[in-house]
Amino acid sequence: MNKVLLMGQSNVGKSVLFNCLSGGGATVSNYPGTTVDFDKGRMAIDGKIVEIIDVPGTFSLQPKDKAEEVALKMLEGEKDAVVLCVIDSSKIERGLYLALELIEKGCPVIIALNMADVAKDANIRINAEKLEDLLGVPVVTTVATMGEGLKKLVERMKETRSVKIEGIMKSVGGG
Amino acid sequence: MKLTVDQRWDLVDRISKKTVTVGAYKATLKNALADVTVRPQTGIPFAIAVLYGFWTFFGEFAGLFTDGFFVRIFGTHWIPWIGEKLAGLPDWAFTILVGDRAVFAEGFPGDPCFAAGGVLTTGLFMPFGIVLWAVLALFLVLAVMEDTGYLPRLAVLLDTVMHKIGLHGFAIVPTLVSLGCNVPGVTAARALETRKQRFMIIALLGVFVPCGAQIGMMEELVPHLIGWVFLTLAIGYLGFGWVLNKIWPGESPEILMDVPPYRAPQWSNVWRKTWMRTRHFLFVAVPFVLLGCAIVMVLYATGAMDAIAGGLEGFLATVFGVPASATPSLVVGFLRKDLAIGLLPIEAMTTYQVFKSVILLSIYFPCLATFALLLRELNWKEILATLGFLVVTIFVFGGVLNLIGMAGGW
Repeated sequence: MNKVLLMGQSNVGKSVLFNCLSGGGATVSNYPGTTVDFDKGRMAIDGKIVEIIDVPGTFSLQPKDKAEEVALKMLEGEKDAVVLCVIDSSKIERGLYLALELIEKGCPVIIALNMADVAKDANIRINAEKLEDLLGVPVVTTVATMGEGLKKLVERMKETRSVKIEGIMKSVGGG
Repeated sequence: MKLTVDQRWDLVDRISKKTVTVGAYKATLKNALADVTVRPQTGIPFAIAVLYGFWTFFGEFAGLFTDGFFVRIFGTHWIPWIGEKLAGLPDWAFTILVGDRAVFAEGFPGDPCFAAGGVLTTGLFMPFGIVLWAVLALFLVLAVMEDTGYLPRLAVLLDTVMHKIGLHGFAIVPTLVSLGCNVPGVTAARALETRKQRFMIIALLGVFVPCGAQIGMMEELVPHLIGWVFLTLAIGYLGFGWVLNKIWPGESPEILMDVPPYRAPQWSNVWRKTWMRTRHFLFVAVPFVLLGCAIVMVLYATGAMDAIAGGLEGFLATVFGVPASATPSLVVGFLRKDLAIGLLPIEAMTTYQVFKSVILLSIYFPCLATFALLLRELNWKEILATLGFLVVTIFVFGGVLNLIGMAGGW
């Protein structure tokens, strides 16, 4: 692993996470579409320096504006990168949709269930272990703005792996 | 294997059924505030209150530093001191660095901060005495608005109005960001969906939205006119937006936008963002202000300014009703608009002429940094269209203002 792409929908906290992990200066705001171009930084995983890239938010892998085109191009251009898929825990379904798309594409994925504080405020509880069992990729709960869960996220980064969608369908089972 | 969209949503559904439990909705203060600020009946008064607070903070903050501190430092200490210290320089060097010797000899008619004109006097006073504090205040307030989540709510409120000119409510985000600096404003336009919307908002921003540096100079020099200036520019923004929407091909579809929950701003982030943008001003804008001052003084010293002014006199007077003495200001307007406003011969013009000149400078060619960005963001056809739009706007808008002035006898 020598590159990490931070991907996720807009306004889920990718840039906050990026700044925490790399000490970088990506612009952070509370509205969708703040990052319209990518930012690059560096972080250490197990003593090894890897490049981390803050990708503009994208709802799905079918781009609908210029910022999303940038996101898709990054993903296609960085074949050897692992993907840190950031999900807004209070809107988990749509985040999972993108995560599944990334998994189907064959990308090695780790999931950050970010904004756990917002989900808690909205009275939404997510069983992260169960989710991890079903998906077969690491799932870590985080609150990037407070720094919660970041250490664990970095520790588990090496467990990132690509899985088959068929396997997920099998472990989830029928409706 | 690749799933279809429906299969994928179905899988998401099954996964979330197994992992997510949703408790009862509890009304929190944040939720209540979120409701109040997007419902038109309560949201519009709230928005007016927010923008008024925004403006008051800006005026007080910038005024405190500029009038309370820097006008005195520069006017009574720095400028006379540097004038004395460098008095031995040859005339040309003194003119460029300090200013016109005649002005010094007369003991500064008017405000020495502006009357001097040299690179080390007025050239330093404008960016560090005025504009820095204005942009700092604007960047700070904008950062707070961005981080709390208020901007997208403003976008929802203004959506109906913006749709009348073919733009989505989200276009208000780049517009407000541009009040700090047009550069991040133009970049933010990328989040708009169609090429048409992006072109329109970039053209409108470049022409009708004054940046923090300009606003700071207006607030310092023509505070009594600033409300009229904003009103006029808003009319231009909406009017020309309406026309552009009619004539420029392409779609302006509805788009869905997420309205994020309110968050308390993280102060570390607010400071960092404010600092990053202020740093951009210091390193990118200040050199141009100094260069602009030097150019103007060279043009004066060589007599070239008189020639240019003479050549433009008839044109300026006929089309815009602006005296030839405003020429230097228009010349450096290409470089920096804040500097250009600082060079307007305010005492020598009528109030209406000052008003027209300030508007002209605002809708004038975008500053160099913004223009460089336009070249990157737009294709050649759109760039030509933007330039055409600029020229048409300047003549139509400037001409109409002139006619109104003539009709009113101002």
